[in-house]
Amino acid sequence: MKQIIKKFEPILNKNLNRVESFIQTRPRVNFLFGALFEAFDGLIRSSKDTAKTQPYIRNQMDIKQFMGGILVALFLGWVLPSIYFFGILCVVPKIIVSFVVGVFIVDVLWVILAKEERINEGGFVTCLFIPAFLPPQAPLWLIGVGAAVSILFRNITGGVGMNLLNPALFGRLLLTICFPTMVVTGWQEPFLGMPTIQSLTYGVDAVTHATPLLIYKETREITSYISLLFGTNTGSLGETCRVALIIAGVWLCKKRIANWRIPVAYLGSVFIFSALFFYTIGETMAPPLLQLLSGGLIFAAFFMATDPITTTYTQIGKWIFSIGCGFITVIIRNFTPIPEGVMYAILFMNLVGVPIQSIVLKIKYRA
Amino acid sequence: MGLCMAKTDKDKKVYKNGFNLFEAYPIQFSEKVETVPYDEPAEAFNFPFPDKNIAHIMVNLCPTEPWALPHVRITENNPREFFSKLDRVRTRYFGGSHCHAVISSHEIDLIKEVKEFTWHGDWLHTYLLDPIYPHDAPVLLLKKILGLHLAYGQDTRETGVLILEPQAVAEIFEHYIRGNECSTRLIPLSGTGLGENKILKVKPGTPIQAILDGNVRENITCRVFVDGPLNGSEVKDMRQRIGWTTKNIVILEERDYKTPFSFFRLNELVFTTSLMGELRRCVYCNHCDDMCPVNLEPALYWQCHTRGEKQRARLYGLEKCIECGLCSFICPSKLELLQIIKECKLADSGSRLKDETDYKKI
Repeated sequence: MKQIIKKFEPILNKNLNRVESFIQTRPRVNFLFGALFEAFDGLIRSSKDTAKTQPYIRNQMDIKQFMGGILVALFLGWVLPSIYFFGILCVVPKIIVSFVVGVFIVDVLWVILAKEERINEGGFVTCLFIPAFLPPQAPLWLIGVGAAVSILFRNITGGVGMNLLNPALFGRLLLTICFPTMVVTGWQEPFLGMPTIQSLTYGVDAVTHATPLLIYKETREITSYISLLFGTNTGSLGETCRVALIIAGVWLCKKRIANWRIPVAYLGSVFIFSALFFYTIGETMAPPLLQLLSGGLIFAAFFMATDPITTTYTQIGKWIFSIGCGFITVIIRNFTPIPEGVMYAILFMNLVGVPIQSIVLKIKYRA
Repeated sequence: MGLCMAKTDKDKKVYKNGFNLFEAYPIQFSEKVETVPYDEPAEAFNFPFPDKNIAHIMVNLCPTEPWALPHVRITENNPREFFSKLDRVRTRYFGGSHCHAVISSHEIDLIKEVKEFTWHGDWLHTYLLDPIYPHDAPVLLLKKILGLHLAYGQDTRETGVLILEPQAVAEIFEHYIRGNECSTRLIPLSGTGLGENKILKVKPGTPIQAILDGNVRENITCRVFVDGPLNGSEVKDMRQRIGWTTKNIVILEERDYKTPFSFFRLNELVFTTSLMGELRRCVYCNHCDDMCPVNLEPALYWQCHTRGEKQRARLYGLEKCIECGLCSFICPSKLELLQIIKECKLADSGSRLKDETDYKKI
């Protein structure tokens, strides 16, 4: 395998160089496709930039690896388990539609029109989020719309590094506003037992069924925690197998791609606040463990809230941010008719993050 | 016997973090010491003795950079002799001062041997340090060992502390006490631009070109750095001469072309001048402030710099920065944070801030 790559490499390198010089010498071609080539080239080859100022050596971690790590964690955390539970034909087309619409249509068009230098790898992460927090039976066009809106929103607000809100969650918010029934129906019973070829391709026949939090609100019936943990339950496509999500999330924290403070503070505060309400107000509140293990909380705590751009920069601010997320999640889940509050909590705290940041800085540096 | 074991909890307070360069860049020097031929006479040795009273002498036997000269090459496996030399130098020139030797906590043999010394009085104190960059920076060493607060760039002699390089101890002993003519110095030569990492015996005054001849790999472009690629400076003119304070020379391959499938071949790129990525906007990943040894938040300076408010950076503890360069080193967005910090330090603090206070009044 290595030798094949070694033979293939100089040819590829030479041709890419040829294309590069072809594009750069023709202004009209450069106007249309220069940015696209740069973006494509950036995915295959390293940059030729060298350090011009101190320090003259740099660490190998770059944004590509940063985003690649998140992609790997997402793949292990939700794509593989959901293929087992719902079948390839349910999962893979959604991811393909999301990628094609989000990255290869909207982002590429944006790169060409706005003459930006590159397609951002962050787009892949955003687009991999979109199917994960929609129900398994969500139609493909819904996912396409979600991906397009998310990427467009991110680019309009200035691209990766400038966006105030998590773009994937913003897309989901728009979908909730525009198609309110579609994002909360279409739950599907997951497949259980030994996987067969049939189950891996189709999953089981669709059975509409309410999610654990809705069941508790209606009948006070608590779904077994084990089934919640392993995901043998109804829920959005990516949020059900919580064990895999936790493992992938802890790996991310260990690699220092995600900041460990956020999941710890978020999950901890949800547990503490819900325990507080459960033991003071009583049975109308869901018990703390059920709150922890239901809905998209674990998915959001490890993958959505840890998005470094939309949280505050200071570490103290991160604690405040995630405790705020936990508090709002518990409030929305228990005191409003909305079944799930994670999305609103994170989006709200994204906005509040800006004043939190400046207040923390003012206190810390007395500036 | 003053073997003060550094407590781990104190360690963490003083040094929040750092980077173990030995793990990232393992450099093995060849055993043999080669002499660089140079016909002209060497630069005369002259140690600038301070006129101020020196109360503490600090000797760092724990280099935190892998391209620095391993102290074994100076003590030649005979630390007893080295410390007796140190004692002679101390009594002769800095009477009444205390010596503080910093030893790597990994070198169990050396620690044992130091413990067994019985002949010295209470003048020698030893400290253990993990070889993590930049924990041997003068500012941090003084703060930890003597509890002195020193600003970056301030001369340690002003506070009565003299930091002696291990090699300088041997040189002072040879030149001033023995009276022998001291004309050569050990210079470690390392990097990806070389076939083999070597330690050379060089006459100070030798131009760098004479050192590179015959050692640098052919068919590649190289860049030469004096005193390490992290903290040192680049050599533009190869006629520049080696001095008595030159510590080491690092020669790195210049990878100024694109490498296909670079993520599978990181080891080829790792010890070159390549940025290993593209310049991006800051994503606030917190890598820089996790790494910073003095608890600063370099991304804030970047923010101030891009907004054109360089003076504002002073508000965020800028003067504490020891310019170790770890923030630029670690940044996944490949921002030139050290350069930004230097520019912010230079920026005039007067005019703009005044306006701001006026604005606040309104």
